[in-house]
Amino acid sequence: MKRISIYVGVGLFLGITLMGTENVKGDESVQGKKLYSNKCQICHGVKGDGNGPAASALSPRPANFTDPKFWQGDVDKKITDTIENGHGMMPAFDLKPGEIKDLVDYLTQTFKPTR
Amino acid sequence: MVSSSRNAILFVCILVGMFTFLQAWNAGAVPSFARQTGMSCDVCHTAFPELTPFGRHFKLTGYSMSQSEKPYQFPPPLAGMLQLSFTRTDKRQPRGSVDDNWATHVTSSDNNMINVPQQASVFYGGKIYDHIGGLVQGTVDGASNTFFLDNTDLRYANNTTVAGKNLIFGVTINNNPTVQDIWNTTPAWGFPSAASSVAPTPAAATVIDGGLGQQVGGIGAYAYWNNLIYGEVSVYRTAKNGITKPLGAGTTTDTVVHDAVPYWRLALQQQRGNHSLELGTYGLYAKISPEGRTSGPTDKFTDIALDAQYQYMSKKHLLSAQTTWIHEDQDWDASFPLGNTARQSSHLNTFKANINYYYISRFGKLGGTVAYFSTSGSRDILLYAPDPVDGSRTGSPNSNGFILELDYLRLEITKFLSLKASLQYTFYTKFNGSHSNYDAFGRDASDNNTLYFLIWLML
Repeated sequence: MKRISIYVGVGLFLGITLMGTENVKGDESVQGKKLYSNKCQICHGVKGDGNGPAASALSPRPANFTDPKFWQGDVDKKITDTIENGHGMMPAFDLKPGEIKDLVDYLTQTFKPTR
Repeated sequence: MVSSSRNAILFVCILVGMFTFLQAWNAGAVPSFARQTGMSCDVCHTAFPELTPFGRHFKLTGYSMSQSEKPYQFPPPLAGMLQLSFTRTDKRQPRGSVDDNWATHVTSSDNNMINVPQQASVFYGGKIYDHIGGLVQGTVDGASNTFFLDNTDLRYANNTTVAGKNLIFGVTINNNPTVQDIWNTTPAWGFPSAASSVAPTPAAATVIDGGLGQQVGGIGAYAYWNNLIYGEVSVYRTAKNGITKPLGAGTTTDTVVHDAVPYWRLALQQQRGNHSLELGTYGLYAKISPEGRTSGPTDKFTDIALDAQYQYMSKKHLLSAQTTWIHEDQDWDASFPLGNTARQSSHLNTFKANINYYYISRFGKLGGTVAYFSTSGSRDILLYAPDPVDGSRTGSPNSNGFILELDYLRLEITKFLSLKASLQYTFYTKFNGSHSNYDAFGRDASDNNTLYFLIWLML
């Protein structure tokens, strides 16, 4: 039984190592919407109003992308800095420049109030 | 033999079950928390199990944050863990001191040991219903050849506003004092998060430093105001019988506490940009029967601890440091009359400090930890008597040393798998009171220096 458990362990390790080499993620371009759904929506909400399912317990509250005040100044830089370095409760996200651009474009097109 | 076969079969069943279940799952990131929130593991963890500020919030809010608006989580938030390890001590241990069973292979030289598995666990980790969630861990332990209910923390949590600021409040039911804590300074989640289960360890430890894990069950209330101040009061009772017995399922209750065991926690946290700092205190008071007895006189232990944590997180760098100091007053009201101790009362001090750094690359996190640990206290020639490997020649509980650890983390290798590989070296400058011949049988502190290699998989 001991030998079997060692074989199982070694087999698992080799299998996992091979799986890992096959699937280095992050090369494919990712849609801004998909990124938003996976990384932002739980706090910032489906509507981008900062009322996601996790928002109520957070202090300060997540940014409201539908608020015109959010879009004042150099917003692209602000969003990029926040994604790259985190801000308050929000952790930094390790996204490629292209992915950040996709996300900024999605936020702008979807939530920025029109005059 | 029956127990060995049963646990071996259980281990294989857990593996097959986890892979079948998770392969069929066509969504989400890695373990159940990530699948529930839709976010990657590193939103909540720097290097698991260390929590980020968001991770601490997730835990405080009852593990119930979810992408789903439904009050329940479907599929249920199940996850798995597998630890495979290799241990080498500088000098062999006496033959027979490590149980050579189906999961533990001791080489002919007696100082190389392979644990396959060291541990295999299944978790229910996440939302149960609405504001109720939990982390429930069932573990097959290879070295002790047991299957038991491991760390368990069930919570109800909610939030409101007090003085214009957010207040998170909740109730926790758990089976290990400090397992409910959100900082990585306290014993349950402090460094090292994994260590050899077959290498010798110093004889003395405070009660709060793992002494009551799965030996008790308890309930507590907590509140966290304005990301600034955290307070908690809990009370525990023995898991040997009564309403708390399920919380010790599978574990032999050989540390029997009497009456209620009060536990307290108070912490201040400040967050400025990417930096966070925590200062706190925690402790407990326990009455424990000697020799596993269930009635009669008890020994009394009062543990008072201080702790601090610093954390810095950026896109490419993670830096953190943790420290804790625990002082324990011991009154041997039962053990002294029985002749088990040479003193009526004594004390023990534990100090631990570690600093961790990780570089985040496209291929994972690479980094490590440097740690120092020290235990000191009153001499007692009966409590710390001479004995091969585990005893003390001088009756002193004093031990100290360093731990160096290199880690490689690869989160979300696939949709259902994360990996942590650790190479750890523990070296003792003093062990059970001495540097050389500490046990009175010719063993030196450095003979217990331990090289430990761990593959830790989260599924």
